[in-house]
Amino acid sequence: MSSLKLLGLYRALFAIILTFLITSIFFIMSNTNPILAYYYIFVGAFGNINLIIETFVRATPILIISLGLAISFRCKVWNIGAEGQLYMGAMLGTITAIVLGESYFTFPIAFIMSLIGGALWASIPAFMKSKLGINEVITTFLMNFISINFIQWLLAFPFKSPETLFPESDRIPNSSILPILIPYTRMHLGIIIAFLLILPLIHFIITKTTFGFKLKAIGENPEAARYAGIDVEKILFLALVISGALAGMAGFIEVAGIQFRMRPTISPGYGYTGIVIALLGQNNPIGIALASIFIAAIINGSSTMSRMLNQPQGIVDFIQGLLIIFVLASDYILKYMSRRGLIKL
Amino acid sequence: MSSQIPSFFSNDIVLHVEGIRKVYPNGVIANDNVTLSVFKGEIHAILGENGAGKTTLVNIIAGCIKPDAGEIYVNGKKVNIDNPRTATKLGIGVVHQHFILIPALTVIENIALSLDSGFKLDLNKVREKILQISSLLNLKIDLNARIEELPVGLRQRVEILRVLCQNANILILDEPTSVLTPIEVEEFFRILRNLKEKGCSIILITHKVKEALSISDRITIMRKGKVIKTLTPKETNEEELTLLIIGEKQNSEFISLTEGNNKNKEILLLVNNLNVKGDRGELSVKNVSFSLYSGEILGIAGVAGNGQKELIEALTGLRKPESGTIIIRGENVINKKPKSLIKKGMAYIPEDRIGRGVILTMSIAENAILKIFEENPFSNKTIMNRNSITDYTQKLMKKFGIIAPNPNIEVRALSGGNIQRLIIARELSYNAKILIAENPTAGLDVRATDFTHRMLLDLRSKGMGILLVSADLDELLKLSDRILVMYNGKIMKEFNRNEYDIYKIARLMLGIEV
Repeated sequence: MSSLKLLGLYRALFAIILTFLITSIFFIMSNTNPILAYYYIFVGAFGNINLIIETFVRATPILIISLGLAISFRCKVWNIGAEGQLYMGAMLGTITAIVLGESYFTFPIAFIMSLIGGALWASIPAFMKSKLGINEVITTFLMNFISINFIQWLLAFPFKSPETLFPESDRIPNSSILPILIPYTRMHLGIIIAFLLILPLIHFIITKTTFGFKLKAIGENPEAARYAGIDVEKILFLALVISGALAGMAGFIEVAGIQFRMRPTISPGYGYTGIVIALLGQNNPIGIALASIFIAAIINGSSTMSRMLNQPQGIVDFIQGLLIIFVLASDYILKYMSRRGLIKL
Repeated sequence: MSSQIPSFFSNDIVLHVEGIRKVYPNGVIANDNVTLSVFKGEIHAILGENGAGKTTLVNIIAGCIKPDAGEIYVNGKKVNIDNPRTATKLGIGVVHQHFILIPALTVIENIALSLDSGFKLDLNKVREKILQISSLLNLKIDLNARIEELPVGLRQRVEILRVLCQNANILILDEPTSVLTPIEVEEFFRILRNLKEKGCSIILITHKVKEALSISDRITIMRKGKVIKTLTPKETNEEELTLLIIGEKQNSEFISLTEGNNKNKEILLLVNNLNVKGDRGELSVKNVSFSLYSGEILGIAGVAGNGQKELIEALTGLRKPESGTIIIRGENVINKKPKSLIKKGMAYIPEDRIGRGVILTMSIAENAILKIFEENPFSNKTIMNRNSITDYTQKLMKKFGIIAPNPNIEVRALSGGNIQRLIIARELSYNAKILIAENPTAGLDVRATDFTHRMLLDLRSKGMGILLVSADLDELLKLSDRILVMYNGKIMKEFNRNEYDIYKIARLMLGIEV
């Protein structure tokens, strides 16, 4: 057990180091000192209390999404559709909040509706996966485009706010806005919900419950799981739906904590970033929490770096892409090295 | 391949290993100063129990594992086999215990995969090569069949063809007969003798004493990682070899099985006109009817691939039958899911221990409770109780003799015999009344086989109904109260214990009416 956890840590560190090395080459090619670049990324993410809070603000939606993805990834259901599920959840939550208006129940009901929105959207590929055996990678991914375009239409026509020129919804009622915990910052309650409520909850589900056990059994050997009497199809369905619900929640927390309106730009690809984080965190909630702070820091820090050194901000996507590749490759490379006796695992 | 090799027997040493040592990270000494030579054109059996270090030695020669010490010589030259490719280039071909074929591809495609055919894939050229080799050895096989459609015996033949197409002249076969039926074994031995005549050297890893005696030119016995002795079959016999394999042990450890009585029987399982389709949509089980009583072992004899697999999968809820009834204690359970069958008291020891029996990457404890984790005290249906799971597993390991440092070790670190003990332990973890045992001793050594047999008999005496599906006729004759012979999806005949006739049964297994 412990050696496996260690392997996970090695894998993540190995991928991060390799990514930084390769990225350095590109910094050098554009006449930039890579050490300086990483320094500015660090300062931009953690330089003062406000920047640290901003890093957590950024980490919140991707943490919630990737915790959900961990559930589906653990049973080897590859949900690539968190982006679309996020939009559907955020939209349904926003509509609910606007319809209900100011009341004590607005936030909780809208919050639950955002879970339902994400879950319902995910239930379509989940049904296709568990009942018809259709590959979820394709269905979840392609459904992202459907949902995002559908929501653009909703925001441009039926739900467009008359107050603004942009395709966006009305402002949600004040009673559904997440309170700010530290004045003059964006430290909203959603950050606490994500790190102190959802994170321990998912950790508990994965490590302590029979559901988490079933996820693992199916992920490691579906044939043995089926033979042992586990209803494999049902669990696959649930895993995908739960990850959809969490993506939906992430979307609504973004609306209720940061944006206050539903916009077609509410997520700059958080659903995809969540995949990177779930992989980097090895589907382990603690690893995922660290990875989401790490990626959030790189996203935020890169904008500082790009301003200071006049480098493109696209480096963020570059780093994320390399991380995916190296996390996946590191497994192979580390096992190879250990088999050859080069390292001890 | 073999045309360059003179077909007469010569004492040239083609393979020599010297002082091989391998210690695994968990401290197990798998090979300790192993030295042995293989002559050109000989069948050299390496005999030993599970865990004697045979497979480790094979993996070292094949370049899959790096030894801690020792040297390997091929054709008199010292070589460094650092990966499987090197071994292939040196003419060493290995047929592993667990086949490495791609189920969705055809025979030709699988063989083509392992050949360096350059950029362009010329299947016709590969076909020619295969046909040339297979006709030389009189090996019959449908080259366009997909691997998943083939029974295990034929898959093995594909594996052998594959390594021969790679121009192997040193052939290492790891427990090759464990998956074969008696008739297939005869056929397989014929192939081996053919290969030997063509000048191939064959290393046969086995734990079956009889086989080693009947086929090999020399026998090397390994025990606990060490080479104990090398002998020729002429200068030894079954008893001596058995003693050498197991070391110091009293004979009383091995029971002789007697016929038990089974009065006041109760029908546990009633199968009526069952029809089941196979993977290719063909009817694999045809109008099968039988009943299983409490306190009996009902054997199903048959050559692999005659519908046994589909029958078992239908009985355990893993495959949907076309028609018929399966009645367990009065209730028709056809189309029920595995879970409700488990609840009805159905236990199952699968042949495919690795693929279906256990989850290799999960711990012994997690595997031990795989069927009962939703019950008290392991969980309250929702939340698992790790402490009680660990306690329970520790007791289970003691009771069933599963040897491992602690219950949190991953199952992949266990030997085949220990894995089988774990599976049996788990299948008995809930109060099952019916046990389906599918080739339960395939690939197990003498002691683990004996353990399994005792277990089955013990369960029978406790009133369990056991359906023993086995390709090992000796095992069936030894254990079962009745035997049904299955051929081409049909039950050919039922034999009661007092009418057992090995030749009749063997002929029926081949579809020859008596």
